[in-house]
Amino acid sequence: MFLGTVVYAVINSVILMLMAIGFNLTFGISGVANFAHGALYILSAYVSWMLLNMLGLPFFISALFSILITTLVGALMYRFVLIRVRGQVLSEVIATFGIGLAILELFRYLGFVGFEYTLPVFIDTSFFVAGVYVDMQRILIVVLGAVLVFGLWLFTHHTSLGLAFRGIAQDERTALTLGIDTDWIATLSVSLGAGLAALAATIIIPLGSISPGEGYDVLIKALAVCIIGGLGSTGGVIVASFIIGFAERFTDSYISSHWTMIVSLAAILIVLTMKPSGLFGKQKELEERI
Amino acid sequence: MNRFVVLLSIMAVTIFSFVTPGTNSYAAEPIIIAVPTSLGFLEGKESHRAVQMAVTEINAKGGVTVGGVKRPFKVAAIDIRDAARGVPVTEALLGLEKIILEKKPAAIVVGPFRSEALMAGMDIIAKYKVPMLGTIAMSPGSEKKLKGDPEKYKYVFRTCLNAVHLVKYLAGTMALINKEFGFNKVYVMHQDVAWARATAGFVKKVYFDKAGWEIVGLEAYPTGTSDFSSGLMKARAKGAQVIMPIFDMPQSGILVKQWKTMRVPAIMTGFISPLAGSGAWKIFDKKIGGAINNIFELGSAIDSAKVPQSKIFYDKYKRTYGKALQAGHGPAPSYESVYILAEAIERAGSLDPDAIVAELEKTDRNGVMGRVRYDEGHQAIFGFDPKETAVSTVFQWTKTGKRVIVFPASIAEGKIELPPGLKSLK
Repeated sequence: MFLGTVVYAVINSVILMLMAIGFNLTFGISGVANFAHGALYILSAYVSWMLLNMLGLPFFISALFSILITTLVGALMYRFVLIRVRGQVLSEVIATFGIGLAILELFRYLGFVGFEYTLPVFIDTSFFVAGVYVDMQRILIVVLGAVLVFGLWLFTHHTSLGLAFRGIAQDERTALTLGIDTDWIATLSVSLGAGLAALAATIIIPLGSISPGEGYDVLIKALAVCIIGGLGSTGGVIVASFIIGFAERFTDSYISSHWTMIVSLAAILIVLTMKPSGLFGKQKELEERI
Repeated sequence: MNRFVVLLSIMAVTIFSFVTPGTNSYAAEPIIIAVPTSLGFLEGKESHRAVQMAVTEINAKGGVTVGGVKRPFKVAAIDIRDAARGVPVTEALLGLEKIILEKKPAAIVVGPFRSEALMAGMDIIAKYKVPMLGTIAMSPGSEKKLKGDPEKYKYVFRTCLNAVHLVKYLAGTMALINKEFGFNKVYVMHQDVAWARATAGFVKKVYFDKAGWEIVGLEAYPTGTSDFSSGLMKARAKGAQVIMPIFDMPQSGILVKQWKTMRVPAIMTGFISPLAGSGAWKIFDKKIGGAINNIFELGSAIDSAKVPQSKIFYDKYKRTYGKALQAGHGPAPSYESVYILAEAIERAGSLDPDAIVAELEKTDRNGVMGRVRYDEGHQAIFGFDPKETAVSTVFQWTKTGKRVIVFPASIAEGKIELPPGLKSLK
């Protein structure tokens, strides 16, 4: 039971990390809090579903197209909307939340509700791990999560584009003086965040189903993880995902599923009380030191 | 001169159109039926469609006779979103009041999705005196409230199954499992909403405790829960032979998938909304063989050759909308409610709400769900024989993807078969 809970807690943590990492990356680089993140996650899932079921494309091609389309939507969102309100935090939040709301409610209005909206698992088998059966999809989620974190580290530390990302994240004005086109990099960061949301949806949705309501859940979970970890910190996202992921599963196993959400919220409150910027955040670093 | 001729022609056409008598059904003012519910949820969407289907059928026959005049029905729907997580009851009530004030309906059909919204909405319904035939919200709390002040709340009827009747079906299925296989250890997993809490509590009180079953676990899951691994691990560790789920949220499909992949050696018997419709076989990759599920009302997502009206309704819905019913709760009573309302209005001979209520109380109709009558709490009476009462159904998914009705005996098509890995104790 204990080992089984640990196994599923790890899986839950990686799922949370995948949901949050795109949101965090966008904020960390461009400073844009993309409140359409959950909607982009659902958008990509519905696009995959449509390509798969309406056009009859193979799943992997549908998934690839949906990731590309969602990435493009992210870029367009920045070029046509966010660029005009860049730097005005409240306007950015309202604009992105509005776009997200429009996407989700449009699908609801068009009748995309029902249990048939789901995506197939990649490989349909399960393994006996630490005393419990775990399906291949969940194992793939953990593997993808690890690969993604390593890939992002390589990208941001060993490619010129990645270094430009880090440059604008550290100091946008200085990056500008060094010839980095900050608007272009910000566009890429929003689109990359959208693409990561789509990637997460492609691998997580087969465990459940697609519904507009899921978009709000994903946004809330991503926000919770990023706030605990510290907005903009990839390391923070990883640690926070594991804190919430383990808290949820252990509460579920040893207290009651009824308390799962409360314990998670309590974890957020405790962390924020002790460190208002989150575990690895820097927004209020100076105030915290003083 | 030309302008004068044109003007004269327009005047002539206008006057002609006013003085020419038309057929009663087109000239008469339509009777508005309001459908305020969670249209974005499957049960709400398909119930709304079932209402529209019944209205189309009635209108095709000329409409409803009120005081000697044939009047058509007209449906006005509003999405009150009460089933969505995080939507406060007050917001749902605003939608309910809005449609009453703006559309001036003669009656409401389907109504609030969540019992929490229904209970609070009963005061609005009483305030505006609009008869309501609810077909989704299930908590018996509304009947208790009605019985507490019948004169005030008499406008509220429920045509669908309620939690009390669902308990009879769940208890009946458990008794059958106990009799056939000797199982008596159950793990209860339910959604943390009023009707599901009430149902789980009632089954424990009226059946499990009295019949000597051991409840090895009872878990309430917040709406939106998407991981049931801990509960399933506990069910396995505690040796549960039966898992009784009670859920109506879309995410509950994950429970079935996890039950299958985690290979929990227990039979799943209860209600999981995504498992009800024929489409579940494909959705769950043909791996739900053995699972037993409740369909709350015969006709909703399943039909029976033993009740021909259920087959006619089920088939017609598929022809009309190009897709079979998937919601195991709502559509059949919604369809029936329109006919019950039409008959009550015709008997009353007016749209006076008190007169309609008086006639609704006298309802005795053989239809899709069997025989429909209301009790003193204005709840449709459910039993086990469609000739005597309305009926619910319990079916089992076979290994080949067919749904076989196993309970009640009056409409059963086969016997319960155990899924692989689970052996009978008898």
